Amino acid sequence: MAHTHAAHAQDHSHDHGNEHEHHLPFWRKYIFSVDHKVIGVQYTVTALVFLFIGFSLMMIMRYQLAYPGSPIPVIGQFLGEPIVGKTADGGYVMTGDGYNMFGAMHGTIMVFLGIVPLAVGGFGNFVLPLQIGAPDMAFPRLNMASYWVFLPGGLLMLASFFMTGGAAASGWTMYPPLAVTAANGETMWLLAMVLLITSSLLGSINFIVTTVQLRVPGLSFFRLPFFTWTQLVTAFLLLLAFPPLEAAAVMQLMDRVFDSSFFMPSGLVVSGVMQDQLAGGGSPLLWQHLFWFLAHPEVYVLILPALGIVGDIVANNTRKPLWGYRALVHAVLFVGFMSFIVWAHHMFMTGMGTTISTFFQATTMIISVPSVIILTCLLISLWGASIRFTVPMHFALAFIPMFGIGGLTGLPLGLTAADIHLHDTYYVIGHFHYVVAPGTIFAMFAGIYFWFPKVTGRKMNDLLGKIHFWPSFIAINGVFMPMLFMGMAGVLRRQFDQTEQLHGATVHGLTLMSSWSAWLLGVAQIPFIINFFWSIFAGKKVGENPWEATTLEWSAPSPPPHGNFAGTPVVVCGPYEYSVPGHERDYLMQAGKMEA
Amino acid sequence: MLAQVNFGTYGRWFPPQLSVHGGDIDYLIDIVHYFMLLLFVAWGSFFVYALFKFRQREGHKASYHLVKGKISKLAEALVIAFEFLVLVAFSMPVWATYKNDPPTSADRVEVRCVGQQFEWLFHYPGPDGKFGPRNASLITTSNPLGLDEAAPDSADDIQLINEFHIPTGRDIYVRITSKDVIHSFSIPTMRVKQDAIPGMEIPVWFKVKEGATSHAMKFEMTRDYGIDELNWYKLRHHVAVDDYRDKSGQVIFAKGNDLGSTYVDGQKRIDQLRAAGVASVKLEPRAPLEVVCAQLCGNSHFKMKAQMIVHTSSEYEEWVKEKSKPQADVEFEGF
Amino acid sequence: MTRMYNGKFGLWLFLTSEVMLFGALFSTYVLLRVGAPPGTWPMYGLTAPQGDQILSVPLATVNTVFLITSSVTMVMAWASLKMNEFAKGRIYLLVTFLLAGGFLVIKYFEYKSKLTHHQVILREAPPGEIASAISSVEVPGAVGKSTLYYVNGHVTEQNDEFIKIIPDAKAGEKAAAAGDGHGHEVKIDQTLVRRSTVWGPQASTYLAIYFTMTGLHGLHVIGGMIVILYLYLTAAGWWKRMPEKLVNRVECTGLYWHFVDLVWIFLFPVLYLL
Repeated sequence: MAHTHAAHAQDHSHDHGNEHEHHLPFWRKYIFSVDHKVIGVQYTVTALVFLFIGFSLMMIMRYQLAYPGSPIPVIGQFLGEPIVGKTADGGYVMTGDGYNMFGAMHGTIMVFLGIVPLAVGGFGNFVLPLQIGAPDMAFPRLNMASYWVFLPGGLLMLASFFMTGGAAASGWTMYPPLAVTAANGETMWLLAMVLLITSSLLGSINFIVTTVQLRVPGLSFFRLPFFTWTQLVTAFLLLLAFPPLEAAAVMQLMDRVFDSSFFMPSGLVVSGVMQDQLAGGGSPLLWQHLFWFLAHPEVYVLILPALGIVGDIVANNTRKPLWGYRALVHAVLFVGFMSFIVWAHHMFMTGMGTTISTFFQATTMIISVPSVIILTCLLISLWGASIRFTVPMHFALAFIPMFGIGGLTGLPLGLTAADIHLHDTYYVIGHFHYVVAPGTIFAMFAGIYFWFPKVTGRKMNDLLGKIHFWPSFIAINGVFMPMLFMGMAGVLRRQFDQTEQLHGATVHGLTLMSSWSAWLLGVAQIPFIINFFWSIFAGKKVGENPWEATTLEWSAPSPPPHGNFAGTPVVVCGPYEYSVPGHERDYLMQAGKMEA
Repeated sequence: MLAQVNFGTYGRWFPPQLSVHGGDIDYLIDIVHYFMLLLFVAWGSFFVYALFKFRQREGHKASYHLVKGKISKLAEALVIAFEFLVLVAFSMPVWATYKNDPPTSADRVEVRCVGQQFEWLFHYPGPDGKFGPRNASLITTSNPLGLDEAAPDSADDIQLINEFHIPTGRDIYVRITSKDVIHSFSIPTMRVKQDAIPGMEIPVWFKVKEGATSHAMKFEMTRDYGIDELNWYKLRHHVAVDDYRDKSGQVIFAKGNDLGSTYVDGQKRIDQLRAAGVASVKLEPRAPLEVVCAQLCGNSHFKMKAQMIVHTSSEYEEWVKEKSKPQADVEFEGF
Repeated sequence: MTRMYNGKFGLWLFLTSEVMLFGALFSTYVLLRVGAPPGTWPMYGLTAPQGDQILSVPLATVNTVFLITSSVTMVMAWASLKMNEFAKGRIYLLVTFLLAGGFLVIKYFEYKSKLTHHQVILREAPPGEIASAISSVEVPGAVGKSTLYYVNGHVTEQNDEFIKIIPDAKAGEKAAAAGDGHGHEVKIDQTLVRRSTVWGPQASTYLAIYFTMTGLHGLHVIGGMIVILYLYLTAAGWWKRMPEKLVNRVECTGLYWHFVDLVWIFLFPVLYLL
């Protein structure tokens, strides 16, 4: 076993030939690096910048929603046409097109440029090889390629704002015929997506091969940290679910650029003009099927790494093993599998008959079961614990009820009859934001506070961390809880002016509450930004294992050098051996010893 | 039950529910939310209790051994059983009502609805019950449906933009499609929603409760608003029932007018009323019932709505007779 | 861990994602074909099977032989190298490359013939003098059915005023006495023309999926050829330093190449024969 492991690791070291870390010039050490840690940091920093941009788009949108038709203060003048239009008295009011552009790009940026690169590219890249004791990923150069395809993809996506016609404005879902006929930046969006999907594909191959092949001796599958398991399942989802969207993106590109009719039915009349140039015969529903075939597993890609991070942090800060480790692993495997057969619950309103809708309704109900199991396991893990309220634990604990609300609100949406009222309302927006925002993003924060010492050798400031946490937690509920009520009142999504419709007008007070909470949430991130940068230079220096944790990454120096470990760790126990009776310390390192 | 919570003039928790089968949907949403609340309170209580009881403190050590999970397994099984019950006993039958048996009664009202950017076109067959033939090549700005005016069946057809007339107490059968992009035909007060997909014609059907006419809705939604309650955003679709004058007797807020077409105008008028010493204003909704578009269809998606006018059955018949007479000038506002 | 070396495992994973990619396209084919109104698949006026009407089965058969043979030579390359026969292995690599090149050459001619073939659709029923050359079909529309007047053929001259086209023989008609298998040239006024396109992806959903699938497949062939060429050119160096690595790389490339061949084995009957 040890020999095979070394052989697998050798596969990579031969590629390096005689390169030694200290001989590499700056641009090869920090820019075009093949070291998973550098790449992980690159992904993290890039993704955080993109998240900030996506969040800013939304904060501006929320002004239009709170005060429809009012000129946007301060920044309105910088936004330019077609995002804003100038009024008679010189104010800059957002336009319908501008609102739709911001909306489509907010979703796209947060999902594809923000969360997935952070959760998978950032955390996955940095932590996973360390957690399995490997010196690096199985394919370091492929890893580098993956980042350097992601970055242009992201930049291309953002650049669309500056092109004629502006950014894409047809929702992150890009439904044709609107997305094909719109005169906005949909083409750029599609091209950027091709790049982003390619990057994701290269990454996912790497993650799977690494996890399966490069584990150190003693690290069997059921001794893997929960974080590693979630990254593995996520990688499979990315590998298998993205290609249909890539195919669909190519087809929509052809519809836009070459006037083909994959998604264009016969007889379209747009703005009074018969679309003679099209052959017709295509199907708008084809796009929806292909898109959601990816996009549903995609949402599990958004949540699984977060569950992994929360699991590791909960175990560490309860000072006891996770409850139901095996159940957790089976649950994530089951979720991964099921995620491929629920997609059409996004399409209940498309004229679906009873047979298909029943099938998807049933699978949707079934997929809620493993989620309930996971949440319950995390909760029961608190029983009999000795809970340390560190800053990462604040965020990890908050994740639990927030994910609970997000998951529970998925139930009425998954029932076709209830969905008739709730489809495309703010209830949907409330539901998925609860899962992704106080859910995944809080888990991301938890992960940053948790692994920051490993990456930099310094701890982030605890006080600033708590000042970041509490206002964020309160504000984020203030943003999304009203949306659940607005949705039940019938307020529809993607509405430039919610008060235009009678049922939207009367609950305008809830919209105001969301907007003000969103601005408060923005302000609450300032302590985090300050803390992040300040701590890199002046944070308290720490050693290998500041959190007294057990998994393998905490047996490496902080930060780990090229090659990660002094020798080869040999694993002697499970990942969460905390408070083992008969030992003085309340934790046992998973790496029993280090082999030369 | 949840529908009783009042959020203002229109929304209680849900919008008013005026259809015969819509109540089933509300009931289903209610049941599921009770279930969700139960789970959340149970989880939440456990969570808070555990955080307190097992916080790290002097003399308290964590236990390596894992607590037995019998209760959780039972609870999990109950959760699954309940979800299954809800699915089979409630959601599936309700969906089937909406999808399986289109109404075939003799007095059903059949309407064709075509969505386009950014209005709803309605096509009624008229007293002869037959739709005139349509041809895409005949579409012009003044003939947005491409109706073949020469055909005999078309003579009594009624074409409307953004006006949807229906009677109470009779099956309404709407055949929905679109000319350009995907829209979604949504009537919140009838719990009806159906995507309008170009290239496909998809029917929906519903029946309005007896007595739930537009007139009755308007009456129910008419009330006094204290001067401090006035908010242009919330009340921009309401109009005055009486004239309101200032101290010198001049009308500052005329009957039938709204507060203003912009927020700024609205504020001005509210200030005027306040300065004139008006204590409260009686307002009624201009159009209490709407058909809206629930699928992003472009930059004016938010404005795509039709007025729904619900008549009594006899009023409706009168309206059809009147409207189906050949009009001298049928004016469309174009696109 | 598996007993496979990392590269091979990685390649198998890559192939599963490729299966999903082409699978999505095959599903698209099925959906488009099943949903096509009668008389519009594969193109207006033609009904499936299209056989000789649009695509050339003989050419595609040659292509199929090329690819299958190239898969065999690819295996021979790997086997030779594994058995230490360097020169032979290298030759087999070259043959594989050339066969793939032949595939692409035929593809080029196929595409060219499509893209120089035209379809003209008229706004309304044609006037008497050209009516005999024009065919018609009823198609559904968003607002109701309409009749479509069209002609397929080769355009000889085209400008702002008219299009001159030599029509193809209509289905079931005998070739005209002109001897080249087509009818006489017909002149159509531009005012009558609703749309004039080549037989490219814009002409029908069938051609759209045809070009997309064969195009994507073609890109995969090109990609494979680049790698095979690289292996061929650098083989000597690797053979000296790390022969096992070369053998493994050839094996992995072979796996990829078999997949590309397999996709074609599905594409050929689906697009050309059914």
